[in-house]
Amino acid sequence: MGMNGGGGGGGGGMGNACYVYPGAPATPGFVTPDVLFQRGIYMNGSMRFDDGNSVTIWGFTDLAAGGGGGAGGDQMGGGSFPSPAIRVTEGQIVHTALSVNMMWMHTIHHHGIEPSTENDGVGHLSWDVTGGTYTYQWRPLHAGTYFYHCHVNTPLHAEMGMYGALIVDPKPTPGDPAGTKRAFYNGPKYDVEAIWACDEIDPNWHTLPWYAGTCGGDVGLNNLNPRYFIITGVDGASSALTNPAVAVNMTLGQTLLVRYICAGFYPQKISFGGLTASVVASDGRPLPAAWNTGAIEAHSAERYDCIIKPTSRGTWTVTVQFFHWRTGAVLGTAKTRITVA
Amino acid sequence: MERRGFLKAGTAGFASLVSGAGLLTWAPRSEAATISKTLYITAGTHTMPDGVSVYIKGFSDSSADLNVPATPIVCQEGDTLEITIINRLAVTHNFVIGGLKAGDPPLVSSGDIAGGGSKTITYTIPTGKAGSYLFYDNKTSYNVFLGLHGGLAIMPAGSSNQLYSGSPTFVKQLFWVFNDIDPALNSAVQHGTTVPTSFTPRYFTINGQTSLPPGAVGFDDPTRDAMANPETQLAGSVGDRTLIRMLNAGMCSHAVHTHANHMEWLTDRGTVRGSVWKKDVLYLRNQLGKIDAIYPFEAPPDAYPPVTTGHFPMHLHDEMSQTAGGGMYLFGAMTDIVFK
Ligand SMILES: [Cu+2]
Ligand SMILES: [Cu+2]
Repeated sequence: MGMNGGGGGGGGGMGNACYVYPGAPATPGFVTPDVLFQRGIYMNGSMRFDDGNSVTIWGFTDLAAGGGGGAGGDQMGGGSFPSPAIRVTEGQIVHTALSVNMMWMHTIHHHGIEPSTENDGVGHLSWDVTGGTYTYQWRPLHAGTYFYHCHVNTPLHAEMGMYGALIVDPKPTPGDPAGTKRAFYNGPKYDVEAIWACDEIDPNWHTLPWYAGTCGGDVGLNNLNPRYFIITGVDGASSALTNPAVAVNMTLGQTLLVRYICAGFYPQKISFGGLTASVVASDGRPLPAAWNTGAIEAHSAERYDCIIKPTSRGTWTVTVQFFHWRTGAVLGTAKTRITVA
Repeated sequence: MERRGFLKAGTAGFASLVSGAGLLTWAPRSEAATISKTLYITAGTHTMPDGVSVYIKGFSDSSADLNVPATPIVCQEGDTLEITIINRLAVTHNFVIGGLKAGDPPLVSSGDIAGGGSKTITYTIPTGKAGSYLFYDNKTSYNVFLGLHGGLAIMPAGSSNQLYSGSPTFVKQLFWVFNDIDPALNSAVQHGTTVPTSFTPRYFTINGQTSLPPGAVGFDDPTRDAMANPETQLAGSVGDRTLIRMLNAGMCSHAVHTHANHMEWLTDRGTVRGSVWKKDVLYLRNQLGKIDAIYPFEAPPDAYPPVTTGHFPMHLHDEMSQTAGGGMYLFGAMTDIVFK
């Protein structure tokens, strides 16, 4: 392998970390981008559940929006969960500039985007960003639903919340009035959009340091025992039923696009409460033919783009079940609603 | 106890994995043939990345080998499989070739093979059975998890580049056989104590190995590192469309995730999909789930400036599978995708 970024592996590494590959080099072939996202990190956020308990959350901040978390700060603050979305248009040259101070290592992997090795955010094949800024350069060719997440000690860092939505919008279809929204080029139109990143939380994991287990020792990263089941950062026990960032309110005649992201590690099944979804794309690629279904079984990191056109007014409860990866037992459920007025 | 043929896996045990040309080689024949093979049920230990020694069993190429998974078998429709299984252990085992589709009866079953005994199965493959198969031991519900499993590819008669007659074509093919190891199970079998009723796997393998990151002992050693093993690694140049026959011998369902290219999803549990979806994650079920997909080896579409070379991972996205012994991220079921 020709791309090992540094000598930080083996027994060394920063702090107590092993098999990490620190670096923040210049971007090969750097050009002026069409769009720039500046991401810092936060390591001391929190999420409060409906039962009153909280866990520590880590994530990415938007430095351009004045969020803290730049490499110059201590990055010990909080931030939004999930991390701020990255939204681009197909064909744009995109920069995602990640700043991490020397206390930590993180990367951004734009999941489903397929760039060069240097820009893929996989530390052991390139570098883990620390003590500076690395600018990921990429140009998405396929509209659709993706997500971005950290790829350092990934079981832990993704579980801790280091992910956000990544949406690639299509180029405008000729003849479309301004403001027309489509799932992909010349694809189905929609009026209302929901991004449902469904995830499970094991509070025991949320007390670990960022490098946990990398030098060996049993820190339990093989054994996920989730107690909370969330949709886009909101507790699916009851809050997600009404939280306006998750629950859908639309009017009869409108078309809904649900971007369903399996953001956890265990298999899931999303059921649309009696509504039929026309699944038009998955993993950022249009399906050869739309698939009409009332439910989708998915595993970690799969995405499904679902067009829903209710034919009457009413309220439908959407249910996401989470299954144990070995036994198949239902471990928990998250719920939200589609209300058509 | 099961001491006969007690072997130490490792460089020697896995040497046969890397003695071939790297990928499965296959030249179609115009006439059917008899494929004769002898498998030896052997046992021994395999050292996990954290140094823990785990007792495993395999369908091996000789009584001195311990092959987990077994060396793949490739044949074509119309061929006759003549497989002799020699049980070198003291307890009863068996050998079955699972059916093509979920719910199908096995293609063939040996019945009990007593300790020290042997059996020969003979099976002539009818037309319509082209596809990917797992052979395994189902004498107990857990023998398959100990390592008694392997892959069988039945090619369509006369074809070297199709999964089934009329399928999308490929130029190379390989197996990814996944397993999940709970050493408490293996230890109970080794010592004849009560087998647990619940398992928590601690090691996760692809073709019998884990990935080893830069800096680790054994890094880049094809006899140890799943990233470097040419029978596991997905290596090619642009255009080298590669069929991957994914077989889940383990306890857990998995999310198979490739970087750099989406996969063309051809089958799920032996059933041909109605249309080909392009996916960067495929849901590989447990309970002997399987998937066939083609990795197209197109230039990574989103690179700017464009590239045609690089290293990328295939890893399971259920990230617990990327650990060993409860930690050690990067020592799990992962391999290297090499754009040469
Ligand atoms: Cu991270
Ligand atoms: Cu991912």
